[in-house]
Amino acid sequence: MAEVQKTRKDKELGLTGFILKPMLLTLKQTIKSTIHRPQTVQYPWEKIVLPDVFRGRPGLIFDKCIGCGICMRICPTRCIDLVTVDDLKKEEGKPAEKVKRPRVNVGRCMMCGYCAEYCPTNAMIVTPEYELASWTREDIIYDPYKLQFPGVPGNEVHIIEVLPSEVKKEGVVPRPNTENKDLPILEEKKCISCSRCAKDCPTEAIVMKEFGVNEKGRPIKRPVIDKEKCVSCETCVEVCPKDALTMSEVL
Amino acid sequence: MYIDIWQFLGGLVHWLLVDIIGPILGWIGFHGLESWLGSPGVLNFVTILLVALIVFTVGMLVAITHIWQERKTLGRLMDRRGTQVGPIGLFQNFADGLKVLVKEAIIPDAADPLVYNAAPVIIIGVSLFMFVTIPYSQGFYVANPQMSVLLTLAIFSLVPFGVLIGGWASNNKYTLIGGLRAAAQIIAYEIPLLLSVIGVIILAGSLNFMDIVAYQQSHVWMVVPMILGFVVFIISMNAELERVPFDLPEAEAELVEGWMTEFGGMKFGLIMMSEYARGFVGASIATLLFLGGWDMPSFLQFIPDELWFLAKVFAVFGLFIWIRGAMPRVRTDQILAIGWKRLLPLAAINIFIAIIFKTLGWF
Repeated sequence: MAEVQKTRKDKELGLTGFILKPMLLTLKQTIKSTIHRPQTVQYPWEKIVLPDVFRGRPGLIFDKCIGCGICMRICPTRCIDLVTVDDLKKEEGKPAEKVKRPRVNVGRCMMCGYCAEYCPTNAMIVTPEYELASWTREDIIYDPYKLQFPGVPGNEVHIIEVLPSEVKKEGVVPRPNTENKDLPILEEKKCISCSRCAKDCPTEAIVMKEFGVNEKGRPIKRPVIDKEKCVSCETCVEVCPKDALTMSEVL
Repeated sequence: MYIDIWQFLGGLVHWLLVDIIGPILGWIGFHGLESWLGSPGVLNFVTILLVALIVFTVGMLVAITHIWQERKTLGRLMDRRGTQVGPIGLFQNFADGLKVLVKEAIIPDAADPLVYNAAPVIIIGVSLFMFVTIPYSQGFYVANPQMSVLLTLAIFSLVPFGVLIGGWASNNKYTLIGGLRAAAQIIAYEIPLLLSVIGVIILAGSLNFMDIVAYQQSHVWMVVPMILGFVVFIISMNAELERVPFDLPEAEAELVEGWMTEFGGMKFGLIMMSEYARGFVGASIATLLFLGGWDMPSFLQFIPDELWFLAKVFAVFGLFIWIRGAMPRVRTDQILAIGWKRLLPLAAINIFIAIIFKTLGWF
């Protein structure tokens, strides 16, 4: 099949393409932008209506947080750290309990929402706040109290899962991924029965059980991990003094 | 309904000089001065000054409003808001004017100082000179010579001189090229412009704006029989005013402002102002020759003639802005090809049509 040779005349726009079409187009545009307002949003006075899933600065629901530190570990810019603060709930006549809560350097935050995505209790949320300028660098480090935000349902971010085989089926709802998770595994030779993992576990998923007595007559304790309660936060791996615990990744 | 500015201001000046200042001077004892102030020569001179001042002010205000109109309309064409300084952006031009006024007057080392300084004066002077012959209504004008159409178009074609020496005096090769291009383009489009006007002159049988408008009031707006001439006139006027799509000498979006590169501060402000003053004059010539001037439907007689005229001028300038918003720029060779190969034959055909209509006595 011979290709049609384009002559020079075909390439020229001519009267219609050069004059009439753009004139009509601009006329339509002018009428449109005169009747409705132009696209410009005059920012300090007008603001765009944000969608519910807008990812602004991270927010914290203080009472839901268990202080596991997954947000701190997942943060790509390392702008989150855990600080020890007084709990908001306190009983009468007693000093407030000390708890660990995340503190966010919003100046370094890139608003990716990973902290909210990986939070096991959905205590970390994304908020629609984006006007974060301040006069000093200290002001934009949000401590856990300042980080609090009354979350609405749209503010939570879930890791949802749909299998490729389910994509075209009807009635399949994307669901949070809970079945497969990383779990710590124990190397028994290294364990010295100190039970620090059980103390530091935020969800109390680790229980120390005794397995007999050693030569000196002390009890041999080994951590037993409750797979349902574990949130794969790696706290036990970090606190282990002899590196006996490691995370086994789900492949 | 129209304002006779000569009668009004003449009466005002007579009342002021003869009835108020004259007796005061006579009471003091300056009888010679009193009779000198009351003489017709002095009264006439003061009246001319006042009329010229008022027409100049009105023309400049309309030109400034054209800048505002262009900014706002182009904004709407591009789906944005345009200027926002002051109420609906009206103060932007005054802010710009203040800005260019307080700038330092710099003359480039290599430039010819005399010609460099004279070029903006020539350009703005020639542009403002054209306000003289434009009548806003039967009574609102500075001068009404017998051949006002010819005079206006003659002044119109003086501008390339200023452009050329402005580009040359800057002593910069780009401004020189820009000036030559501008001069070539303006001279090339002068011919179709004049030929498209000739059709109107043949039909109306006069070279006077007043007579042409009177003809259109009694017969029909010239745009109806002379639609071809109107199209040629608008395109040629766009090229004459160096507006998009014929803004090759300037190309303010891409190049460095063409022949006005080396001009800064108030000199640039004056050149910019002269462009819009010429735009106003071009739009008003189109209004007077083709759109019936201050002619109006009879049931709208209560609106003054001057307002009708200005409304039509703003509509024609709006057409210029619309063309600017819609069209891409043409190349140098395309500019001259359009001018010589397309518009010139069309203008010649337009003359034939006018002669046929005149012979048959249709319009």
